[in-house]
Amino acid sequence: MMSISALQNVHEKGLFGDHENKNDDSLIKVSECKNLVIFQIVQYKNSSILIKDINIDGLNLKDEALSISCNNDTRVLWCGPKNWLLVSSKKELLKSIYTSFKDSDFAITDLSHSRAIIELEGDNSKEILKKGCPFNFNELKKNNCVNSVFNGITITIDMIEDNPNKIRLFALRSFGESLHHSVTDACLEFGYKAL
Amino acid sequence: MLHIKCPYCGMRSQNEFAYGGDASVTRPELNKEILDSEWDSFVYLRKSLKGKHLELWHHISGCRQWFKVQRDTSTHEIFKTLKPGESI
Repeated sequence: MMSISALQNVHEKGLFGDHENKNDDSLIKVSECKNLVIFQIVQYKNSSILIKDINIDGLNLKDEALSISCNNDTRVLWCGPKNWLLVSSKKELLKSIYTSFKDSDFAITDLSHSRAIIELEGDNSKEILKKGCPFNFNELKKNNCVNSVFNGITITIDMIEDNPNKIRLFALRSFGESLHHSVTDACLEFGYKAL
Repeated sequence: MLHIKCPYCGMRSQNEFAYGGDASVTRPELNKEILDSEWDSFVYLRKSLKGKHLELWHHISGCRQWFKVQRDTSTHEIFKTLKPGESI
C-alpha cells in the first residue's frame, strides 16, 4: 500500500523565486523524501545493555552529541542521551530492529508516517536554515545531526553531504506544510527548483 | 538573547529552551506527614532573588533533557550548567 505523502498538497514541482538567468546547478533543490522507515529508539534509564554491543544493519549506536552512524541505506541520528532516530530506505529492517532491541531495555516507536521530510541540496542550503534557526551552522559538518527550531517549528537536521550541501529536515507531520512554506519562502531569494 | 550550554548538546540559543522554575525547591519526602503550610510553601511560595539563582531549564527543542542552570537574575550571566543529579 502506498503511503500518503505529508506534503502532497503543498509541494509543487518547478522553478520558483529568483531563478531566471541562473543555471540549474546554482539553484537550491527542494524535494520531499518519502517512503523511509523511521524509528525512534530509546534506551530505558535502568537498562544495563552496552550500546557498543548493539548492531543494526552493520551500524553501532553512538552516544555523542551531533553524531550519526550511517551506511548507504541507513542513518542512526543521536537525538539525546540514550535516544536515537533510525532512518532507513530498507523496509526489511523492521524485523531486525525488533530482534536487536529487547523490549525490556528499549522503547521502539515506529514514526515512519508521523514525520514530514524536506531535503535541501545546494551551496546555499545552510543560508536558508540560518534565516530561521539559531544554530551555528558553521559547526555542522558532514554526518552531523542536530535538533533545533526553524521559525518556531521543532526540527531535526541531518547533514548528509557537504560538497555540495545536502540537508534533510524532519518535522512532525502536522507541521510539515508550515515548515515547507517557511523553507520555500526562505529559498525564494536564491531561486529554487522543486523536485 | 541568552546562550545556554546544555550539558548534553553544548552551546545553544535560548529559543530552544523552556524555563522550568526554581531548582533549589525540594519536594517533601514521600508518605511523610506534613503541615498544609509546608505543602503550600513547596507548591506556591518562591523567592524572587536578585543575583545568583539556581534554575531548572528544559532543552525542549533539542535533546529534551532537564538540567540546572546557575544564573544571575539581574545580569543574566550564566555561571554553570549541571545535569540534574549534579550539585554545585
